[in-house]
Amino acid sequence: MTGVVGRSVESITGALRTVFTAEQVASADGLLQRRDPRVAVCSVAGLALAVMITRTIAVTLCFGAVTVILARLSAVPLRRLLARSLAVPLVSAVIVLPQVVVLPGDTLVRAFGLSVTVDGVAYVVLFTLRVGVGVALLSLIVMTTPFSAVVAAMRELHVPVALVWVIAVTYRYLFLFFDELQRLVLARNSRTTGRSSLRGGWRDAKRLVGTFLLRTLDRGERVGRAMQARGGARPPSPYSRSRTVDRGDYALVALAVIAVVGSGVVRWGL
Amino acid sequence: MGPVIEARGLTHAYPDGTTAIQDVTVSIDEGERVAVIGANGSGKSTLQLALGGLVEPTAGTVRYFDETTDAEAVRDRLGVLLQDPDDYLFNTTVREDLEYGPAQLGMSREAATQRVAHVAAELGLDALLDRPPFRLSGGEKQRAAVASVLAFEPDVLLLDEPFGAVDAHYRDRILKLVTDHEGTVVLFTPSLDVVADVADRVIVVGPDGSIAADGSVRDVLTDSTLLQANGLRPPATVTLFEGILDADDVPLTVSDARAYLLDELG
Repeated sequence: MTGVVGRSVESITGALRTVFTAEQVASADGLLQRRDPRVAVCSVAGLALAVMITRTIAVTLCFGAVTVILARLSAVPLRRLLARSLAVPLVSAVIVLPQVVVLPGDTLVRAFGLSVTVDGVAYVVLFTLRVGVGVALLSLIVMTTPFSAVVAAMRELHVPVALVWVIAVTYRYLFLFFDELQRLVLARNSRTTGRSSLRGGWRDAKRLVGTFLLRTLDRGERVGRAMQARGGARPPSPYSRSRTVDRGDYALVALAVIAVVGSGVVRWGL
Repeated sequence: MGPVIEARGLTHAYPDGTTAIQDVTVSIDEGERVAVIGANGSGKSTLQLALGGLVEPTAGTVRYFDETTDAEAVRDRLGVLLQDPDDYLFNTTVREDLEYGPAQLGMSREAATQRVAHVAAELGLDALLDRPPFRLSGGEKQRAAVASVLAFEPDVLLLDEPFGAVDAHYRDRILKLVTDHEGTVVLFTPSLDVVADVADRVIVVGPDGSIAADGSVRDVLTDSTLLQANGLRPPATVTLFEGILDADDVPLTVSDARAYLLDELG
């Protein structure tokens, strides 16, 4: 598969696969990397919760700034954090976009017989920002802590096994998803000559999607068996990487508690 | 010594109707070294999955260690290596993949760390432990997959083509780890050249997925008619000496052939 579509699929899958590994970031010496995994999971989840509570753009932006500061102190390149976190808020924005004309309020712009309202725009911006900051915070934890340590921390924190299971399997299958897609694109490119038109590229892409779904299903089954062969039918139980909690850990927990309480106060009052 | 795996009337058909294995009855005793050979598509891999308790057979039963038919109850004693190493490497680093089995199967962290370090050193993976698995070459992935099974020290190894993509050096290293394994080894392979190095018993899976023969390594590997009828070719050393020496004297391995020739040439 050549052409714009093929090249796009190839570059996007390659980039995403690289972005999702983050192995260098996880092994770097940074603020979050030095934290006990249980503390890191709880604190970052707390910050994400605070973001979800808030209904104010200014407060959400403050949390965005906190996320950027945490990323900088944890040696996480901002471009990589953005690349990892951007897709979800963009999709969310598309989903809630109709709200700009659906929500009543003062008219900002009139176009094609529709009124774009101030309240509608504010809602879409706030929603997208909240999702973006929340996803960026969760990405931070996965980028700065080995994934098995995150899973082990969730087990130690008595997060329901079913939830841990879903998170662990989903995360692992994300790798396989991109890996399978990239293999498929490479295999097709190696047997395709010449430049195809945009239309031809889309036609190829449609065929690719069908094959891809079948292949991911098959690969999923095989990987499931390989997990089962090594005890994967039992609840996820990676080795704990917990250590003695220190002042830095307490400080991070305090930050998360203040964020949650502060968000609540701003939203609901005292 | 009792059977570690005992299959009776094992049949497995896939949803599309393809019968991969049929009416397989086989018993593998503790400490045995068995090679399961067959042509491509004969059903070896499905037989391995069924014996390893990773597919539900359409008919028949598998009993483990003469105590249970539930493979999950003895999962820590069964080391199943599937054909494609990529299926084993789904964690963010090779180390996590190697620790996955020991952690899931309840091995202590200290024991697992030692064991992972040992198999990683044996298979030349030390420098790759903190790399993401998808960045490894085909041979490195194969070694990592083998290591991930050996890491939890199972009693029984069920290995499907463990030498697939590795170079000669690491093929010998894997071969040594497998032959040094103190428990039971069942090797599934279409390549007959390694069989005599590993096994003392050979099971031939026929094109229809049934057991076509079950006998000693010498009896099976020197029976060209049987092998050819099942889409297989005898090992190179057997082909070389067939008709020159009696079946009982034909060297089955390259090292045996070399020793024989050196002896003959004085």
